[in-house]
Amino acid sequence: MGKAKLGAERPLSPHLQIYRPMLTMMMSIAHRLSGVANAVGFILLAWWLVAIASGPEAYAQVSRFFAGIPGRVLLFLFSWALIHHMLGGIRHLIWDTGSGLDKTSIEVFAWLTIIGSTVLTVLVWVAGYTIMGGR
Amino acid sequence: MVQFTLPKNSKVKKGKAWNPPAQGAPAARYREYRVYRFDPDAGDNPRLDTYWVDMEDCGPMVLDALIWIKNNVDPTLTFRRSCREGVCGSCSMNIAGTNTLACTMHADDARGAIAVYPLPHLPVIKDLVPDMTGFYAQLRAIEPWLKTDSPTPQKEWRQSKEDRDKLDGLYECILCACCSTACPSYWWNGDRYLGPAILLQADRWIEDSRDERTGERLDELDDPFRLYRCHTILNCTKACPKGLNPAAAIASLKRKLVERGE
Repeated sequence: MGKAKLGAERPLSPHLQIYRPMLTMMMSIAHRLSGVANAVGFILLAWWLVAIASGPEAYAQVSRFFAGIPGRVLLFLFSWALIHHMLGGIRHLIWDTGSGLDKTSIEVFAWLTIIGSTVLTVLVWVAGYTIMGGR
Repeated sequence: MVQFTLPKNSKVKKGKAWNPPAQGAPAARYREYRVYRFDPDAGDNPRLDTYWVDMEDCGPMVLDALIWIKNNVDPTLTFRRSCREGVCGSCSMNIAGTNTLACTMHADDARGAIAVYPLPHLPVIKDLVPDMTGFYAQLRAIEPWLKTDSPTPQKEWRQSKEDRDKLDGLYECILCACCSTACPSYWWNGDRYLGPAILLQADRWIEDSRDERTGERLDELDDPFRLYRCHTILNCTKACPKGLNPAAAIASLKRKLVERGE
């Protein structure tokens, strides 16, 4: 006795390091990450809008970037993040009414968000390419 | 504040293997447990010790195994326990990566070696015993007792059957803190966010038809931290060993505040 550690000297028990990842908590972090991705995506959008205002040369440059593979991949990820965040937002709206919080519904909502966001994103791109004539 | 890593004095070191089974011993007979140890008198960092529990000599629950280790291998292993049947809430800890009661967790429900840690993100007093002072202070802060202005009746405070039913799913809470210490929001803001267990208690008194201070209780919760640090992560509801739903109780509190404001 006597050497016993008090208050602030006590170790903090492990938390993130040991907690088993579960789908519902992963969906929570995915909602946050897609929000951050949206912020980055809106920089792309702003860049495009500024280019329109700056004249034909600037616009041609930006168009060339978005027509390339890296540009298309970025846009695809942005659209996915946007749709994922939107579905996540709807999920949170439903929860705010007090419904859908039972143990079965929370798992179903998680899967609906994952599958829904992926399917919708692919559909948007298929529709886009169809309208553009496959370019 | 958010801090993803553990402070220097809290990093878990490799520990000791206490009683590895003899070569050629039937592997199925021994269950491996990796248990968090911290000795406040030694001045060392916490460590993870390994024990092998003889399942032919030990009961089925994780608490049985901890008691078996204490009786047969290492009497210094320290943990809280009392009722051994899920009513007292003493033996709450992190087992196989999730918060639950050691007494109601069947060892067969976990695969492989079973990791046992104290409840997450709390100061550790010794081994599996965390300091719950902050948690109890927060419970005190919501004043979890019947508050009335009407004169006290001669007999009991009457309540209709329907109003009594509203307390189902709330009154059963045993305050084991499994939910609160499973919540990342509580990890990062536990000094100001009340956490799921205490909010469920708050809802229990706000739902009670006999309580006459509902408005005051809601005022106390209407705060960006106390209530609104809940981001519906749902670890609370997944963890509760009594099958309660703290996330639903919190949603109900948020809703009552919105409805009141209209």
